[in-house]
Amino acid sequence: MSRMKFYCDDHRCIECFACSVACAEAHELPTGISRRKVITLFDGIEGKEVSTSIACMHCTDAPCEQVCPVDCFYIREDGIVLHDKNKCIGCGYCLYACPFGAPQFPRDGAFGAKGAMDKCTMCAGGPLETNSEKERHLYGQNRIAEGKVPMCAAVCSTNALLVGDAESVSNIYRKRVAGRGKGV
Amino acid sequence: MRRYMYMFIAFLSLASVAMAADSQIWGEMRIQNILGYGQEESLKLGPLFTMLQHQYFAWIFLGVLIGVPGAFFIHYKIIGPKVFPHSEKKYYAFNLYNRIIHQVAAVSFLVIIPTGFIIVFGDFFGGGTLVRMAKNLHGIFTIPFTIVVIPMALMWVKEAIFNWDDVKWLMIVGGYLSKEKKPILAGKFNCGQKMWYWVAILGGITMILSGAFMFFLDFKMQMLHDLTGMSQIDLLRAAAIIHNVMGFAVLALFITHVYMSMFAIKGAVHSIITGYVEEEEVKILHSTWYKKLKDQGKF
Ligand code: SF4
Ligand code: SF4
Repeated sequence: MSRMKFYCDDHRCIECFACSVACAEAHELPTGISRRKVITLFDGIEGKEVSTSIACMHCTDAPCEQVCPVDCFYIREDGIVLHDKNKCIGCGYCLYACPFGAPQFPRDGAFGAKGAMDKCTMCAGGPLETNSEKERHLYGQNRIAEGKVPMCAAVCSTNALLVGDAESVSNIYRKRVAGRGKGV
Repeated sequence: MRRYMYMFIAFLSLASVAMAADSQIWGEMRIQNILGYGQEESLKLGPLFTMLQHQYFAWIFLGVLIGVPGAFFIHYKIIGPKVFPHSEKKYYAFNLYNRIIHQVAAVSFLVIIPTGFIIVFGDFFGGGTLVRMAKNLHGIFTIPFTIVVIPMALMWVKEAIFNWDDVKWLMIVGGYLSKEKKPILAGKFNCGQKMWYWVAILGGITMILSGAFMFFLDFKMQMLHDLTGMSQIDLLRAAAIIHNVMGFAVLALFITHVYMSMFAIKGAVHSIITGYVEEEEVKILHSTWYKKLKDQGKF
């Protein structure tokens, strides 16, 4: 089975924040949590400025899964890395292990205690019944189950944000690089 | 009093910066963090933490949890406890202040250590509410310990400084390997107690600080970043590694401390409840101290 991957083509990203906003809206995320975030480097420096959109990269051999003390991660056959919020104790270990700073924590406990970890699900929900009220409440929409593309990629006006099985994503990117003659 | 006020203020300000919205983890520094992950020139703390947490930490904790009591069980079976008469003369060695401070620390440890275990073996306990509660108690009971750790350090530091007696004590492992009741060189605290003192105090403070880092997550301490050259996420990774490694030492010595006071020296635990120590016990196990007390006419 092919593995699902994200790729953000930083030659195309125009820093419009559509992916980030659409994600937050679609999944009704609390303020302060952005599963997908646009980051710009060398802001305003001509020729150097570059933007990219980052979320969970759904790693192969995901480090987050390896360190979780309550073992709440599970990796789907298609490579999407998901976790169980009802099991999560909000210890933060997944964040320390993650290379991409993807896991985030709502401050919903007393004295600033961390709530259950929240991260991008590639719009594939969680371990609860697909498209149930509960799944939607905890993990947001399950667009993959409906055969739809994740929200962020769906709204990306320049098609910078690619998602799909690893092979087709790299095929598209390879074609683009060949077309513009640079960019690897 | 002033000290507590400062501690309280420090706690509040830490808590409030923790609420700051954007941190280096998810903000501007994020790309640098990603690029630095596992690279030659970086500290490689991310992969290091992942490897340790994934393959070693839980096993080492399990090893300490089984190994140390296991060794003591054998010790108890072969050599057995040291029993001292409890009707002889006693000396009032620990006043109410000593005892309260020690008891607060003791109760905190009795919650912090088992809950730490529930977190380490969270998957065994199925995660969810139970483990989450353990995690919260682990943090909450750090507060009483934080309050008493400095007073405890101060009230016993003089007795906890190592000296020549300790070298001799170490050479015979405190006399615990024989059934004989020969006087053993030691002051008010023997070498073993001193080791526990330093691990509990310095280790305890290290645990409090690294734990606080992990709890507050987004705290901003520019000074610390400047000093160490580490980014927020690397500080957190370092804190997690230190917290676990120091945990091994604290756990091992805590079990030892409990074994000694409850089993190896029958009834020694009473001294910190009532404040009195038995003459026989002092004479044998703390002979240097005994001599001093005798000279002062305390026995
Ligand atoms: S949370 Fe981090 S480590 Fe886990 S799959 Fe996503 S990007 Fe990888
Ligand atoms: S925060 Fe939750 S998901 Fe992350 S490692 Fe801890 S228990 Fe697992």
